[in-house]
Amino acid sequence: MSADDLALRSATHDLYATHSGWLRGWLRKRLDCGSDAADLVQDTFVRVIKARQALEIRQPRQYLSTVAKGLVIDLFRRRALEQSYLEALAALPEDAYPSQETQAIVLETLMEIDRMLDSLGDKVRQTFILAQFEGLSYPKVAERLGISLRTVNNHMAKAMEHCCLIRMGLL
Amino acid sequence: MTPARPPLAPAEREALRSAARWYARLSSGQDAQAERQRWRHWHDADPLHRQAWQQVEAVQQMVEGVPGSIAASALQHSRASRRRVLRQLLVLAGVGTLGWSGWDSEWGRVLRATHRTGTGEQRALVLADGSRLLLDSRSALDVAFDGERRLLRLRSGRVLVQTANDALGRPFLVHSPQGQVRALGTRFTVQTEAQFCEVAVLEKAVEVRPADSDRVQRVEAGQQLRFDRVRLGEPWLSDASVASWRSGSLIAIQRPLGELLDELSRYRHGWLRCDPSIAGLKISGAFPLDDSDRALAALESGFGLRIVRRTDYWVSVLPAQG
Repeated sequence: MSADDLALRSATHDLYATHSGWLRGWLRKRLDCGSDAADLVQDTFVRVIKARQALEIRQPRQYLSTVAKGLVIDLFRRRALEQSYLEALAALPEDAYPSQETQAIVLETLMEIDRMLDSLGDKVRQTFILAQFEGLSYPKVAERLGISLRTVNNHMAKAMEHCCLIRMGLL
Repeated sequence: MTPARPPLAPAEREALRSAARWYARLSSGQDAQAERQRWRHWHDADPLHRQAWQQVEAVQQMVEGVPGSIAASALQHSRASRRRVLRQLLVLAGVGTLGWSGWDSEWGRVLRATHRTGTGEQRALVLADGSRLLLDSRSALDVAFDGERRLLRLRSGRVLVQTANDALGRPFLVHSPQGQVRALGTRFTVQTEAQFCEVAVLEKAVEVRPADSDRVQRVEAGQQLRFDRVRLGEPWLSDASVASWRSGSLIAIQRPLGELLDELSRYRHGWLRCDPSIAGLKISGAFPLDDSDRALAALESGFGLRIVRRTDYWVSVLPAQG
């Protein structure tokens, strides 16, 4: 292990020792659930470790709470999506129910898709969902949303470009 | 998390834009054969085009990895439900720029989930499951939902609850210091006082269980019931005035003046009392809650009473002078 690695490791350790306590309290206040809070404290530090940033953090409280805040938002997005997914599944006959593993994978993918589509405008997002997931033809989408065929085409291109950019980490 | 990459060169950006346009054209299914040939031509013409097309294919693969109609419905609903709860923070990108003030006001309230109203304030809330609450003046309530149950803790005051169906089938419970009210798909109010708790059911039914008792009492629509930690009253029929506070007025039908003034006190600061000799006087009428001075004026003129103000915070209602 290099000297740099050692320094990084000890800085991370110090950061955890000093800040995990109040961060847990901070999260608990926002989540109203002790075990979620404990999980997110761990996740927050996992982010710090992965980013190898422990040495460069100037204002640890602000930094850690910003990271934690992002994780809380993710958690709530996930819960909302999970609930919608389960509601959608509930409409299926029992024998069409996917296995737990399949459900987990689908949910993970849905999270990613949801995140990609989230910052798109409503009509663009709707267009993409109707055409891609519901399998509606362009004329049907146009009719449903009250827009022209040409606009459907433009929205589809825009949505795809946007998804690519997000996936590539450019947005 | 995708690591940040250096921005694309203009030619790469342009190639990505064309790839997205090709994707849109091919997905239209129009003139498929000919389009496909034209696309092939474009694709093979430039390595940048092929690179860009790979990105499109990667997104396509992800989209194909989920069952279409279920994904469509989940994605639509998740946005709708987030919008319900987190109206202003819908846009993911907005989170970064909103900064602390946005976080503290909106998210903070939702996530900390402790709600408190001041004197004269009523607040409407929509919970994560879509249930709706109206918290009355001078009330405090915690929302504590988890995987097992949807729990509200009413610390003080009064709340109107309209429950939503829960996909996870979790029971909906309201705890007050006096005991537990379990909703059976319904609209109802719970009010907690120092000595008792009162439940009024507007739709369907609830089950009430005092904190220190095993007895359970079902209360049906149109009924009211009082209980404390040990004792469970008998349900009685509500009159039309029940929960009229939710529309900003207090409707009294043959209600003793003393009770009416207690009720009005919820919405104003200070001390509001009446002479014991007239506490039993029966009053009927509608009184505005957002302006309790007007309510008092209505009592004065309509029922021959006299309002004496020592200060704005010390008001007595006395019989009219003979």
